Amino acid sequence: MKLRSTLALALAAGMLASCAKTESESGNPKSGNFILTVTPAATTGVADYLLTSQTLDSDTISTKGNGVEQDGSYRYYVTHNGKFFSMLYGQGNPGAVTAYNIQNGKLNKLTNFQTETVQAFAPVNDDLLLFKISRNKNTPNSSWYKVNTNSLTITAEGTVNTLEMTGLGELAHFTWIKQVGTKVFAPYQTIIDRSFNTKYPNQASIAIFNYADMKLEKIITDTRISFIGQYFQDGLSVQENGDVYGFSPAAATTDGKVSTAKPSAIVKIKSGTTEFDQSYFFDVEAASSGLSITSWMYLGNNTYIVNASTKAEKLEGSSSIRVGIVNVVDKTYKAVTGMPELTTISSLTTNNYTSKDGKTGYIGVNLKDGTSYVYKIDASTQKATRGLRVEGGTLTAVQHLD
Amino acid sequence: MYSRLFLLVCLGMLALSSQAQQPGIIRGVIRNPSGNPLQAITIKIPELRKITTSNQGGEYRFTNLASGYYTLIFSGVGLRTIEKKAEVKAGEETFLEVTLQDHTVDLNTVTVVGRTEVQEVNRQAFNVTAVDAKQLYNSTLDLSSALDRVSGVRVRESGGVGSSFNLSLNGFSGNRIRYFIDGVPMDNFGSSFQINNIPINIADRVEVYKGVVPIWLGSDALGGAINIVTGDRYRNYVDASYSFGSFNTHRSVVNAAFTSKSGFTFRLNAFQNYSDNNYKVTVDAADIYTGAYTRDAVVRRFHDTYHNETIVANVGVVGKKFADQLLVGITLGKNYKELQTGARMVAVYGGWNRRGNLVMPTLKYRKTDLIKGLDVTVNANYNLGKEQNIDTLSARFDWYGNSKPNPNGEGRGRSLSKYGNNNGLMTATVNYKLSDRQTIALSNAFSTFNRKGSDVYNENFTQGQVRPRLNKNVLGLGYTYDEKDQWSTSVFGKYLHQSTPGQATFNKMGFGAAVSYFVIPSLQLKASYERANRLPEANELFGDVELVQGNLALKPEESQNINAGFSYGFAAQEDHHFLINANAIYRYSDNYIYSRFNQNQSALVLDNLDGVFTLGGEGELRYSYKKFLSVGATLTYQYLQNQQEYVYDTNGNKVLSPVYKDQMPNIPYLFGNADASVILRDLGQKGNVLNIGYNMLYVHAFWLYWPSLGGSGGGDKYGVPMQLTHDVNAVYSVKNGRYNIGLEVRNITDRRLYDNFSLQKPGRGFYLNLRYFFNSFKI
Repeated sequence: MKLRSTLALALAAGMLASCAKTESESGNPKSGNFILTVTPAATTGVADYLLTSQTLDSDTISTKGNGVEQDGSYRYYVTHNGKFFSMLYGQGNPGAVTAYNIQNGKLNKLTNFQTETVQAFAPVNDDLLLFKISRNKNTPNSSWYKVNTNSLTITAEGTVNTLEMTGLGELAHFTWIKQVGTKVFAPYQTIIDRSFNTKYPNQASIAIFNYADMKLEKIITDTRISFIGQYFQDGLSVQENGDVYGFSPAAATTDGKVSTAKPSAIVKIKSGTTEFDQSYFFDVEAASSGLSITSWMYLGNNTYIVNASTKAEKLEGSSSIRVGIVNVVDKTYKAVTGMPELTTISSLTTNNYTSKDGKTGYIGVNLKDGTSYVYKIDASTQKATRGLRVEGGTLTAVQHLD
Repeated sequence: MYSRLFLLVCLGMLALSSQAQQPGIIRGVIRNPSGNPLQAITIKIPELRKITTSNQGGEYRFTNLASGYYTLIFSGVGLRTIEKKAEVKAGEETFLEVTLQDHTVDLNTVTVVGRTEVQEVNRQAFNVTAVDAKQLYNSTLDLSSALDRVSGVRVRESGGVGSSFNLSLNGFSGNRIRYFIDGVPMDNFGSSFQINNIPINIADRVEVYKGVVPIWLGSDALGGAINIVTGDRYRNYVDASYSFGSFNTHRSVVNAAFTSKSGFTFRLNAFQNYSDNNYKVTVDAADIYTGAYTRDAVVRRFHDTYHNETIVANVGVVGKKFADQLLVGITLGKNYKELQTGARMVAVYGGWNRRGNLVMPTLKYRKTDLIKGLDVTVNANYNLGKEQNIDTLSARFDWYGNSKPNPNGEGRGRSLSKYGNNNGLMTATVNYKLSDRQTIALSNAFSTFNRKGSDVYNENFTQGQVRPRLNKNVLGLGYTYDEKDQWSTSVFGKYLHQSTPGQATFNKMGFGAAVSYFVIPSLQLKASYERANRLPEANELFGDVELVQGNLALKPEESQNINAGFSYGFAAQEDHHFLINANAIYRYSDNYIYSRFNQNQSALVLDNLDGVFTLGGEGELRYSYKKFLSVGATLTYQYLQNQQEYVYDTNGNKVLSPVYKDQMPNIPYLFGNADASVILRDLGQKGNVLNIGYNMLYVHAFWLYWPSLGGSGGGDKYGVPMQLTHDVNAVYSVKNGRYNIGLEVRNITDRRLYDNFSLQKPGRGFYLNLRYFFNSFKI
C-alpha cells in the first residue's frame, strides 16, 4: 500500500513536470520590427524578454515560450544607428551590452561587449555616450565612455570631477545627457547623499561639454525652476529648428521630502545659444491645474506626449499614470482621453516609440490586474486607442528598429 | 503488540522462577585485540531480551539471571559481532571476558548485508543516509564533495578549493539545511570551519537527514540536517595524511588521540588546505580599454588563492564515574580567500580578498546512565573569531591580469571591514529509557548573536537602526518506541523562540513523527512527517555586511515534509549482494525564504515567497560480489513548483504571476552518481590491499530563468548545460592499512563544468595522497 502510494507520488511528479514542459506556444502575432521589452512579475529568477511584433495596433503577444531572454532584468534599452542595445545595470560591475539588429522581424545578436554600469547614456553622432556618475563625495570623479556603434567598442574614456562642478559642496548627478549640435548638454541635480537629497532644491543647472574632447565648457543655471529631467528621464528635447526645451518635474527633495518651491515648468534655450531664454517660461502646473510632467516624448511639430502626476501623487512617490499632450510653443496642456480608468493603471512606460510625424506615439500601459497594452495616441485629437495586448510581464519599453 | 504480551508473560515467568532460586550474574570485560577496553558495546541476551552496554572501562554486567545457559551477543561500532554461550549458576557470578576484532580491514568494502554502524543509522525511521567516511580516508575529498555522492544531495560550488558552495537536499538549500558536528550546531563557526574546507578524515561518518530531523539535533532545520560524527573509536591513534595535486593544491590532516590508563585524554584534529586554484577557464574576455570581448578565450585564473588552517584540540577525561567524557577544548582556525569573479565570470577582480579566523573555546560533557537509564549530553561553545572583507584597490581588471584605474573601487565599492559575530551556543540533551523499548528525549539549544565591527570606508557599518543582536532557543521533546528489527516509532514536538531587541519576537511550534516497519529483516519500510519551521538567520535579518542586505521584515518559513520509502537487501547465490533504497518526498513550504537582488542590484536580500511545493523521488542501487567488487548508482528527481499565485509588480501592485505553477528555475532537478570499485587483497604481500575506484556524476541541464518563458530555440534562453564527470582513483594500502598511497584523477575527460551559470569549475586534476594510520599502542 505504502509502496503503491510512493509510486503514485513519483508518477504524479513526473506528469506535472511533463505538463510544465509541454505548455503550448500561444498564437503570437507575426514577428516584425517593433520591439517590446517585458519584465515578468515574479519574485525570483527574473529575466527580461525582448518580443518582436509586426504591429502595435492589435493582437496579443506573450512571453510564454516566446522572446529573446536577457540575462538579468535591471536593463536599459536604446536604439541607435540601426541597432538595438540591451544594457545591463549591474552593481558597479562591468556591464555587458548586447547589440542586435533585426532581420526578417527577428532580433539578430551582433555581439556582446563590455562597458561600465552607467546612469546616463545617449546617442551622439555614431556613438553612444555613457556616464558613470559618482554618488560619493570621497570619489568625486565621474567617468564617461564613448562607444562607437559601428565598431561596437569603447573608443575613448575620461573623467570629470562632478563635485567641483557645482561649487555648492554637492555632487552633480546628471539626470540624462543630450546631443545639441557639436555639444553635449547634461542637466543635473545636485545631491548630498545616495538618497538624492539636496540643500538647493530651487535651481536647475546644465553642464555643457564639447563632445569632441569632452571638455566642460560651461555651466548654466536657472533659478525659475528646480532641476531638469529626472533620474533616467531625458528632460531635454531639440526641435527641428535647433531650439532646446527642458522640463522640470519640480521633484527636488530635502530630507526625503519634495522641497522645491518652484512649479513643474518648461524652459527654453534658443538655437545656437548656451543660455536659458529668460523670455520663455511655461508653467505647466498652472496650465494643467496642478500637474507635474515626469517624462516626455517629442513627436515633432512642437508637440509632446507627456506622463504627468498630481501633486499628491508626486508626494506619494507613485508612478505617473496620467497622459497629456503639450505644445511648447502654444504653451498648452491637454489631457488625453480613451486611456483606461486611472484607478486601474499601475504604470506607464517612459521609453516609447513615435514615428515623429508630429502627432502619433505609442505608450505602454500596465494595468493593476497584471495585463499590459500598447496604446496608440493621436496628439491631434488627444485620443488614445487600445492596441497590442502583452501577456506574461510588465511592459518596460516600446521600440522600433528598421 | 503480540511481542509485548509475550514479553510480559516471559517476565512474569522469570519473576516466578527467580523467586524459587537464587539469581546469578554474568559480568565481564570487553577489549580490542591490543587489550584496550571497549566502551559502548551492546551486549544482548536474546533468550531474555536483555540488553546492556559496556562502560568506559569495557565492563558490563547482567544481574538477576535465573540459572541456565544463555547466548550473549556482543556488537559495536565497526567491530565484528560475536556470540558466546555462558552458563549461570544460582547465586554465582560468571565472568566472561571477550575480545572484539576490529572491522577496519573490511572498511574498504561495502558489506551490503552485514550491517556496519553506518547502515545501522540508515535503518532508523527517519529518512537518513549515512556516508561511511572511513571508506574515503585515502581520498582528497572534503565533506562537501563526499556529500555530493549521496542521493538527493547536490552541492553546487562556484569554483575550486574553498569556493563558496550551496548544498541542496531534496530541493531545499541554503539555511534550510543545518550542519552539526557530533550533534552540535555549526551555525556560528565562521568561514574557517565549514563543510567545504573540513577534510573527510575528520569524520567517522556523515549522517544526512532528509526532511524530517530528529529531536536530538536541536535546531530549526527545515529541509534537513547533516551531522558529522567524528567518533572516538580509538583511545590511542595517529592518522596523518598529506596530498598534493594540480593547481598547486596541498592538503594535510593529522588526527590523533592519546588516552592514559587513568582516563586522561588528549585529542587533536588539525588540517590545512592550500590551492592556487589557477585552473584554466573558457570565457568571453573583455579588453578593459575597448570593451571588446574575445570569445571563448582560454585564460588562467590569477587571483583565486585559498588556504585555511584549523586546529581542534580537546583535553579532558574519559570513563569516569561522573562523566563518560568531559572535554574542554579550543578550535583555532584561519582562512584566506581571494575572489576572482563576481556572480558572472565576465566580472573579474584582482585585489579583493576575505579573511576570517576562529577562536572558539568548547566544552563537551557526556554521561550515559547518570542514574539508571538517564543519558545526559551538554555542549557549549563561544566563537570569538573575526571576519574581514578587504577590497581597497581602485582598479578594473581584465582576464589577462591587466588593470586600469577605476574611481569607485573594483566593483561594489571599496571595503576594509572587520567584524565579529560573537556567537555563543549551548545545547543539552537528556535521554531517559523508560524501558528497553521506550525512550524519552528532551533537548534544548540556545544560541546568541551580537555583531560588532567597523569599516573605514563605510561609517554606517553595523550602525543601522536595529542593533544586530539575536537570541534563539529551540526546545524539543520526543518519544521513541523501538521494537528492534520489527518496528519503531518516534513522535516529537519543538518549540522555537527568537528575539531581537526592538523587533517582533518569533514563537513557533513544530511537530512530527517517523515510523519504520520491517516486513522481513531485510525489507524495511519507513515514513515520516514533520511540520517544520525555520527562523530567519541573523545574516538574513541584519545582512552579512558583504553580499546580503538585511531584511528585518523577514518571517519564519514553515514547511510540511513527508517522506516515504523502503530499503531492501538480498543476496543471490551467497556471493552476490544487492541493496535497493527508494524514497519519495513531498514538501510544501509557506513563506518560503529566497534571495533576490535589492532595488539597485548591489546586494542580495532575503524575502518570503507565498509557497513552493516539491515532489521528488530518489533511488539507490548497490551490488557487491564477495569482497572483490562493488558497484552502485543513485538517481534523484525533484520537481519544485512555484505556488505564488500573486506577486507585486515593480510598482507595488498585486498582480497574477505569469509563472504561477511553473517549475522553479535555476535548480538542478535530475541528477545521479555511479561508482564502482575493485579490491585486490593480499597483493604483493599479505595484508596489502589495492583498491581501484571509479566515480561518475551526472546533472541534467537546467534553465537559469523560468522554464516557461522565452523562446527556447536558437540560443534565446540561458541555461546550465548537462554535466558529466568521471573520476578515477587507486589506493594501495600496506600493512593492514598502516601505510596508504593514493592516486586520483578528477574530471578525467577535462569537461567544462558549471554548477552555477557561467561559473566554471576546475578541469582535469591529478592528486597524490599519502596516509599513515597507527592505532596499536598504549601509553
